Parts: sequence; C-alpha cells; structure tokens
Amino acid sequence: MTPGPLAYFLVAAFGIGAVVSGWLVFRTDSMLRAAYWLMVSFVAVGAMLVVLDAQFLGLILILMMSGEMTIMAIFMIMFMMNPAGLNPMTMVHQHRTSIIAGVGSFLVLAWVGVVAEFPNRPAPLEDPTIALGEELLGRSMLVFESAGVALLAVMIGAIALAAKQGRFGDAFEGSEEPDMDVASGDRT
Amino acid sequence: MIDLLLVIAAAIFGIGVYGALSQQSFVMIMMGLELMLNAAVLVVVTFWWGTTGGNPSGQLLVIVILAVMAIEAAIGFALVTAVYRSRKADITEKLKKLRN
Amino acid sequence: MTALGILVQVMALLVVGAYIFVVADRLMVGTETGVRAALVYPVRRLSFLLLQPVTTTERPDFEAWILAPSLLFGLAAVGAVPIPLDAPSAGGDIPAGLVLFGAAMLIVLVAVYIFGWAPNSALPMIGGYRFAAMVLSVGIPFSLVVLTTAIPAESLSVGMIVEAQSNLWFVIEQPLGLPIYLVTAAAIAFWGPFDLPEGSDLAGGIAAEASGPRLATWRFARAALMVTLALMGQAVFLGGYLGPVLPGWLWTVIKTLILLVILASAGRTLARMRVQRFVWFGWVILLPLALVDVFLSGWIAL
Repeated sequence: MTPGPLAYFLVAAFGIGAVVSGWLVFRTDSMLRAAYWLMVSFVAVGAMLVVLDAQFLGLILILMMSGEMTIMAIFMIMFMMNPAGLNPMTMVHQHRTSIIAGVGSFLVLAWVGVVAEFPNRPAPLEDPTIALGEELLGRSMLVFESAGVALLAVMIGAIALAAKQGRFGDAFEGSEEPDMDVASGDRT
Repeated sequence: MIDLLLVIAAAIFGIGVYGALSQQSFVMIMMGLELMLNAAVLVVVTFWWGTTGGNPSGQLLVIVILAVMAIEAAIGFALVTAVYRSRKADITEKLKKLRN
Repeated sequence: MTALGILVQVMALLVVGAYIFVVADRLMVGTETGVRAALVYPVRRLSFLLLQPVTTTERPDFEAWILAPSLLFGLAAVGAVPIPLDAPSAGGDIPAGLVLFGAAMLIVLVAVYIFGWAPNSALPMIGGYRFAAMVLSVGIPFSLVVLTTAIPAESLSVGMIVEAQSNLWFVIEQPLGLPIYLVTAAAIAFWGPFDLPEGSDLAGGIAAEASGPRLATWRFARAALMVTLALMGQAVFLGGYLGPVLPGWLWTVIKTLILLVILASAGRTLARMRVQRFVWFGWVILLPLALVDVFLSGWIAL
C-alpha cells in the first residue's frame, strides 16, 4: 500500500527517537542510562516495524530487548569502575578515527539509500504473521532449526566459559574490583 | 518512504560503528554492535515491506538476525566474564595479547 | 472504537480494578478492622502518602526515579489494551495482541530495576537485582503458557483466543496453563509469596527509600498491573466474556474479580520462598512444566 501522511509522520518521529537515543547511549556516564537508552532505541525501531506492518517482528524485537538490556545493565554495573556516572568520565580510544568511521559509514549508506533505485513492490495487506509462520515451519524449517541448534550450542558454550568451576578460575575471583590504571593490566 | 527509512538506518548504523570503535569497555563495545544489528533489522524490514512484495523470507531473515543478537550477547558476556576472571581485564587496553 | 475511547476505557478499568484489588487485599489481612475500614483504606492511604513529607537520598538518579512508577503504570495500561471486555471488535483487538501483552509484561523488569537503582541506595538496589533474577527465571514459562493459548485458537489476537474457547475453556483444555500463569504472574507483579524485591528483610527493598506521591504512584501502578494480569488470565484461560445468561462484560468483570481474589488471598496466606530457591523453582520446575503444556496443547490441537 502507499503510505499515508500518518505513516510518514510516525516513521520520522520514531526514527528520530531511535537515532537520538542511540546517540545518547555513548553520551551518558550512567551505565544504567546507557543500557536503557539502547533499549529505547530498540523500542523505537520496533515501533517502526509495527508501522511497516511487521507487527509480530516489531513486538518480538521489543520483547527480546527488554530482557537483554537488563542483563546488559547488570553486566555493565558489574564491570565498570564508575557505573552510576556520579563523576564524569570518558572511556574512549582512537576517538578521531571512530568519528570519521561512523560519519563515513553513515554518509556512504545514506547516499546509497537515497540515490539507488529500488523496485516498488509493496507487501500485500493481509496479516504477514501467518506467512512468516508458514515460512518458518515450511520451506525454511532448516534455517529455523539451525538457529535453534546454534542457540543451544551457544548456551552450552557460554556456560562452559563462565561457569563457577570453569577453566578460567573460580567465581569468587571475580569479586575483586578491577584496578584503576590501564597500563598495569595483562598480569598473567 | 524507503529513502527516509534507509537514512535513519544508516544513522543508527553510523552511531553503532562509532561506539564499537571508540569505546574501551567491553560491554560498551557490545552496545555498539547491538546498534548496528538494530540498523540491520530496520533495513531488512524496510526492503521486505517496500520491494519484495511481502516475500516471507525477509521476515525469516529478521528472525535470524534476532538469533544472532542473542548469540552475540550470550557469547560476549561469557567471554567478558571469563577474561575478567583470568586477567582482571574490563577494558580492551588491558588485553594487549590474547595468549597467556 | 476510537483510540480515545480505548484510552478512557482502560484507565477507568485500571483505576476501579486497582481500588477493588487493594480493598480485597485489605479484607484478607483480617476481619478485626472491618469491611468499612477496608473500603476507605485506599483513599486513606492515598491521602496519607500525598500529604507525607517527601524524603530523598544522596544523589539519586532523579529522572529515573520519577520515570519508573509512571513506566510501570504505562506498561499495565499497554498490557490491558489488547484484551476484549465484551463481544469481539469492542476494545482494541489487534492481530498480535498477545505479543504486545508479553512485551509489556517483560518490560516491567525494566521499570522495577530502574526503581531499585534510582535512589542510589543499597537495599533498593538489592531488591532490583532480586527482581531481575526472578523475572529472568519465570519470564520464559510465563510467555510460554500465555502463547500456548494461541495454538488452538490459531491466532495471536486475544479476541480470537476467547472465541476459540466457546466449546471448552482453556483452563480445562490446558490444565497446566492457569496454575503456571498465576504463579508467574504473581512473580512478575512481585506480589504475594513472591514479593521478595519488596521484602521486609530488605526493609522494603525497591520501595525502601520511596515516599510521598512517588510511592503512591508505585503502589497504584502495581495494583493496576495485578488487574491487567488478572484480565489477561481470565481472557485466555477462563473464556473471557463467554458465559450464559449474563451480558459479556459482566462475565469479564466476575472472572477478573475471581482471579484478583485468588491472587490477593495467596499473597496473604502462602509462605515466602528464598530467592535462590525461587530461581531453582522457576528453571527446574516451572519451565519443564510449561514445555509439557506446550507439547500437550500442540498434540491436542493436531
């Protein structure tokens, strides 16, 4: 279908929200805020997917990210020396290169997006969730199953890496704080 | 509409690239990677919606990206935990060499 | 129905439902205070909290502290939107309504974690961590039993799921569903035997430092969350608005009240479980049972 003005407005609003919150992830000092700004970015993209008639995918994206971002916040609070950002800090390296790379990739991709001609074959109006279900458990079942097997392998691998009695030491060793200076690291 | 969506996705991707390259903390690097995958989801759904006539393979690709996100997060956190236990390292500068 | 109509309907539902829930909970505490005291209790408590001097902590995350209670209430409202109260097409019956509900209920984790984090104080933070551990261990069984009701209905729309129960309610067709749902729902609303994030061993946990309007909003949002969970429970397991003689909306109200009373009385009678044991319970007992539920329902549906 041809998008109406409401769809344009919603996409633009959520798009600006997604970009700004994505930017704030790296601008805030509080680790909790960083993690949840990223979640806001995902929720905005999920809302855009809902506007684009991919209701199921958008909601699944939001559903997945709410759990993942809380885990992320917990890990960031665990591993950062100043998680609440009570003192301002910058923990960046190769800053100039990164900015150039980021802006460069944006310009190139946006240029491609604006200049290139894409075929205009919009999705039909009926509920795409049914089509997705039939695809997942029909033609592309092997892909779906492979994703499941990969996730199982990852679960086993992650437990092997991080388990309490794992190869990389006892869990209680991790309860010490990291040392503050960068140079003296790598002491093995 | 497709142009607008692609420009938004490019902006999110650019921020992700910046974050993944510039941050020192492992977990912040992972946030940059997640932002890039976020942009990828948006692009895939844009093309599915606008140019493929509703081919369900496009939606399938999003499911695969979501699985990749979960895998990235799980392995990433497990590696961070393992590295922290053995090296007391929480930022990349402390990992000058990957061998013991 | 217009968007404004849905908004008004959901708000009225949650406010009235939250009032009834608090009164029901008050009646469970004991009879010596009397029914009349219970009926005015919500108003008394609300006016007390609004007039109370507001305490604060040293360098709290102020914006997050204000955001968290409103976010919790917003999630309860969003979760209630896809639930039809009466015949189909009344209320916002959206195609993937069940997923919308699931997403809203899992973001509750975010609201509670932020509420524990924001005061910059140890006990609320521990409460937040407890809640994260609890929700991560019951979130999967919760989503599974809710989504299983979509298998016989062949639709993710809540209205279609209610319609699919015209022969037999899913509480009978999927006997494992409602018990698991009630247990996990109580845990997600940190209610009753699972109020460990707000436990008295943490001096109130996530709400230890909250006071005044902030605490009032938080309590109200939690009661609204219970209403949303009870509404969804009756819609997907107890046949929603289906029932003889009485009009549909009245059946919805009756069934919601039954679930609310069950949850309220469970909260006042059952013993607490330590959080370590609860995590074990979630992963080792509830998750396999939920998988059995999915398997059996799929088998019956085929």
